[in-house]
Amino acid sequence: MTETAALGHRAPSMRNRRRRSERLFAYSCIAPQILGFLCFVLGPLVMVVVYSFQDKNILTGQTAFSGLSNYRTLFTKDPLFYKTLINTLVFTVGLVPLSVISSLLLALALRKDNKRNIIFRTIFFAPVVTSAVAWAIVWKFLLQGDQGIINRSLAIVGIHGPNWLREPAWAMVAVIVTRVIKNLGMNIIIFLAAVTNLPEELYEAARIDGASKVQMFRKLTLPLLVPTTMMITILTVIGSLQVFDHIMLMTEGGPSNGTMVLVYYIYYQGFRFFETGYASALSVILFIIVLGLTLAQWAIGKRLSYQEG
Amino acid sequence: MRKGFVLAAALLALSALCVTSGIAQSASSGPVELRFTVWTGNAAHLEMLNAIAAKYTATHPKVTVKFDTIPYDDYAQKLAIELAGSNPPDAGWITERDAPTFISAHTLLDLSRALVPYNYADFSKSATALWERGGAVYGVPFSNSPVVVFYNQTLFEKAGIPTPADLVAKGQWTWEAFASIAKQIKAKTGTYGYQTMDGTGYTDNLWETIVPMIRAYGGDIWDAKGACTLDAPEAVKAMTLFHDMIYVDKSVVPPGDQSDFFAGSAAMTLNQISRVSKLATASFKWGIAVLPKGPAGEAQVIGQAAIVAFKAGKHSAEAMDFVAFMTNKENVATMTKFFPPARVSVLDSDTFAKGNPAIPPAMMKSVVGYALKNGRILPSDANFPKIDLVARSGFDQLWQQNADVKAALSGIASSIAPLITKP
Repeated sequence: MTETAALGHRAPSMRNRRRRSERLFAYSCIAPQILGFLCFVLGPLVMVVVYSFQDKNILTGQTAFSGLSNYRTLFTKDPLFYKTLINTLVFTVGLVPLSVISSLLLALALRKDNKRNIIFRTIFFAPVVTSAVAWAIVWKFLLQGDQGIINRSLAIVGIHGPNWLREPAWAMVAVIVTRVIKNLGMNIIIFLAAVTNLPEELYEAARIDGASKVQMFRKLTLPLLVPTTMMITILTVIGSLQVFDHIMLMTEGGPSNGTMVLVYYIYYQGFRFFETGYASALSVILFIIVLGLTLAQWAIGKRLSYQEG
Repeated sequence: MRKGFVLAAALLALSALCVTSGIAQSASSGPVELRFTVWTGNAAHLEMLNAIAAKYTATHPKVTVKFDTIPYDDYAQKLAIELAGSNPPDAGWITERDAPTFISAHTLLDLSRALVPYNYADFSKSATALWERGGAVYGVPFSNSPVVVFYNQTLFEKAGIPTPADLVAKGQWTWEAFASIAKQIKAKTGTYGYQTMDGTGYTDNLWETIVPMIRAYGGDIWDAKGACTLDAPEAVKAMTLFHDMIYVDKSVVPPGDQSDFFAGSAAMTLNQISRVSKLATASFKWGIAVLPKGPAGEAQVIGQAAIVAFKAGKHSAEAMDFVAFMTNKENVATMTKFFPPARVSVLDSDTFAKGNPAIPPAMMKSVVGYALKNGRILPSDANFPKIDLVARSGFDQLWQQNADVKAALSGIASSIAPLITKP
């Protein structure tokens, strides 16, 4: 009796101790990640929101609470803010469908594992591992006015190509297309993973029911790929709202601010004009836009998806 | 509850770390290491600077100097961030373009008292004007570099037309003559006659490209009262000539085109004298000439850089003393090898004429010396970064085939006028 009582007593306390040490171990495992997140993500994020309510200049060192003044200036006195907002929208609307649709079609075309497809997959993936700087500089050469290879090639078939990066109407198109080609490979790989995992038995059943290839694509492939498509769309949208390197290296926001997107404008305000407070307000707006769009896409995706709906 | 405790403890530990590191840095004693920011990464430049610093340490054993390179393109931005950080530089270089911004932001120390033993009056008045406010001196120019014309002599010989130096000798060196030889070069050799400074005359080097022409025609970007004069007839005339060179004669490397003078793909370019070093390995014979004249006569243009001491630095006294030492006559003479001096006594000496091994002494005097004595620095303003952004966007409309030069300049003038600081 005494023995069993003692045993009964010891067992939960040992279990507790083990559980505690396990918990401690788990905490110590995630601590570096949590600390990194607090220091380098959450901390700066909170500071950006705080700065956005300040008249803060990093060069003069001046910091004063200014309430909503930055936001008021942004919405009522800064025409360039609206221009950059529209440019960002045009960039995103131009880039996302082009990137998602072409990567989906290419993934479907390259789904079978044969030699030819592997070569093409490598070709499409090569730009992803190329340095963004090298990519932009090479395209700057290719897209020159009369001397560029693209315009020289067009001249052979009698087309007089524009000065791609220096004409307001064409600069945005050129930046979008080069960006799509750069990141296409990554989207193709994600789509390929989803496409190769599509359940064969569903297609089998559809074939028995006499469905055509087009019907199978519309009624099976597309709906089954909704979760992947949504994820790729969200990632591409976020990436294109945050585009900076391509713009900086290829057009510097020009010509006539025609490719001045929101992130590049934030850089200008923060690091060229040293207006840290104003740049922070712009960043908060960007954050709200990205968050809003992501939530909206998630909600739409849930409704469209067979798996999640 | 416990999670909250763990989080709070982690945050506390972190903030304690930040505080202690701050204390450790501010309580320096004993030996002093000055941090000095420069934009050059050139080994020969750094060797020369380190030699000057070693001389200083020899007489001031407690002080050593560390030169930190920040690339030129991001210099002002990174410097501003470093000044706001916990380990700010004590002294460094600043270009004339950034001078008003950094002075009006009260980031620089007044060096006037430290300069007393070093005969500050020897510096040319025109060179120091930009760095003085009242009796205070916020920077000492160490590089007074004129913008000159570089030309590819081999191409001129091939085309059989007179070089810029020939036209200078005949007294016919005008911007119209410049446009004419550029056009002839294009017609006879197929190579562009002119490439703007480093090929970025339509963007980053916009002002270096347009100011020499506009001033030679009697205009400027803004006048002494801070009124914008970019749409005045003189400026319109100068810019019409340039626009015609690009789009009618097609003799200028156009916007977006990557043809490069240093690779032999253009016959002439404008650049600062320090760029002569890039010609050491050129595959062609080359020469330099002063900037052409215009209807209003001479308009040489100078780019400047100065040495300053930063208020945010932790060793102000040592920093000011080192800046003064660095710009004494002996060290200015040493730096002449790379940077044309602002000290009159050095400028008139043989040290200057023989200072740059790549340029013959006669050419050094007739081109660089002449431009320095007759030149004016580029326009600058405390609001320059904003003016630059707005102007560039407007100029992009001028850099089009069918642009209306007068209308484009009027548009730019009206948009930059409110941004110009009134004296």
